[in-house]
Amino acid sequence: MRTSPMTAVVVADQLTKWYGPRLAVDHVSFAVEAGEIMGLLGPNGSGKTTILRIFTGYLRPSSGTARVADHDVVDDPLAARGRVGYVPEDAPLYLGMGVREFLMFMGRLKALTSTGLTAAVDAAMERLRLESMRTIQIGRLSRGYRQRVAIAQALLGDPPLLILDEPTNGLDPRQIIDMRDLIRSLGGERTIIVTSHILGEIERVADRVAILLAGRLLGAHAIRASGERGRFRLCVRGDEARVRRCLSEVPGVIAVQLDDPRQVPAPAYLVDTEHVAQAEVVAHAVVASGFGLLRMESVSVDLEALFLQLTGGQIEAGR
Amino acid sequence: MSNFVTLLLKEEKAIFSSPIAFAIVGVYLLLIGYTFTLMLFLNRTAELVRVFFQAAVLFLLIIPVVTMRLLAEERRSGTLEILLTAPVRELEIVLAKFSASLTLVGLMLALTASDALVLGIYADPDWGPIYSGFLGLLLLAAALAAIGLAVSGLTSNQIVAAVVSMGVGILLWMIDSIGYLLPDPFDTIVTNLSLVGHFTPFATGAVFLSDVGFFLVVILACLLFSMRTLARR
Repeated sequence: MRTSPMTAVVVADQLTKWYGPRLAVDHVSFAVEAGEIMGLLGPNGSGKTTILRIFTGYLRPSSGTARVADHDVVDDPLAARGRVGYVPEDAPLYLGMGVREFLMFMGRLKALTSTGLTAAVDAAMERLRLESMRTIQIGRLSRGYRQRVAIAQALLGDPPLLILDEPTNGLDPRQIIDMRDLIRSLGGERTIIVTSHILGEIERVADRVAILLAGRLLGAHAIRASGERGRFRLCVRGDEARVRRCLSEVPGVIAVQLDDPRQVPAPAYLVDTEHVAQAEVVAHAVVASGFGLLRMESVSVDLEALFLQLTGGQIEAGR
Repeated sequence: MSNFVTLLLKEEKAIFSSPIAFAIVGVYLLLIGYTFTLMLFLNRTAELVRVFFQAAVLFLLIIPVVTMRLLAEERRSGTLEILLTAPVRELEIVLAKFSASLTLVGLMLALTASDALVLGIYADPDWGPIYSGFLGLLLLAAALAAIGLAVSGLTSNQIVAAVVSMGVGILLWMIDSIGYLLPDPFDTIVTNLSLVGHFTPFATGAVFLSDVGFFLVVILACLLFSMRTLARR
């Protein structure tokens, strides 16, 4: 797990939450770096929403600390909340308000000044393609548009952290695809934490996934290379030790591991590089060293396998 | 301060865009007008004592209906999470909701003042008890609104909030009756909790600091309780 507090926008340290006698979050620690999209994955009741609510200041942790952009959510709640844009599950909104009226209301609460307020609301509406809906009452909007309004309000004030709780819940397939594209487009410029109990959703939008079960963090793994990093699977014919040494010596290669030694007709290697564009350099190095490059592909983590590996039989046992 | 104004305007709009507000004000004016006319023609005296008591009893029933949605509706619809995760203090939320409910009460009191105006035009009333009566009604209404807000923060069901607030208000109104059955010092304590006991002097023209203090303490205690409810999560 990458935890470099120097660039981390979100830091959870031994975060614990009790609901009466029930332990909802059990000493969870993680960090999310600037510009990263972190997915929280876990079955219903695994503590995802509780963790999000602690970071938004809606819940107080029983113990441990949660910091947003260097502001403790308990000791400095207003500053921390001011740096979070939050879309709760099911996007609760004031159904009697118009779209623009609601965004202006939320903008004022986020202390946007009168000149900046109109510009910020207009920009958020443009980004979420809500201009044609500006005077429509929120109660009359479809589920997908309501979700967009909720995200638009979260973007007001340009917070460094966006927290999206089950953002694709209840959307139709077209809306789900739009929502994924939107989340991906928002990543990079700001840090995003997104939750889902659906594996495929996290896999499609997140850079890294933290898997939770019964309030415990089982592990955090990169799904796709953060930023511009690359991961490739290569089938290379040749002596294994020499191939590994050859790959390790390629500039920009971070790690080499044997993926599947039984692969026919040659073993497969997983190669992590600093930049996705180094695929060509890696391929050239293999061929130039006289090895047979039989296949090369860009890969992402097999999230399903990872989830099953980390949770083991615990979900079944818990039932 | 700006958050308070923003929240207050939102609450005012929610209250005055609802048909409930107009139904409440309409029914209140009808009943108060009926009482005023009846008392005027039966007693032929230029005073509003009975109108004040009638208004107080109506407030016991009406104000819980005004306050029932204040926090319960936000909790039910989930918008409380939006509010409490914005950079807003719990105090600002509570004060805005309390002030908004008082606006409607203020409107009802202002319209009740037309009765005093009629007396002023056609007779020569003693203005002291009229002023004190209105002050007493305002303090009573504010205390009931604060109680309603506190109860509304405990549930997500508006009907439950209204019924419980009504029950608490009515119980406090007539709690002095049970005081006569209790031994010393509980009789004094319970009698001093009575809303009617503290309201009656205002309605009859006597303003005691202890009565003003009682209502202010009830208001402050309920507002602090509401804040505590929002903060404890």
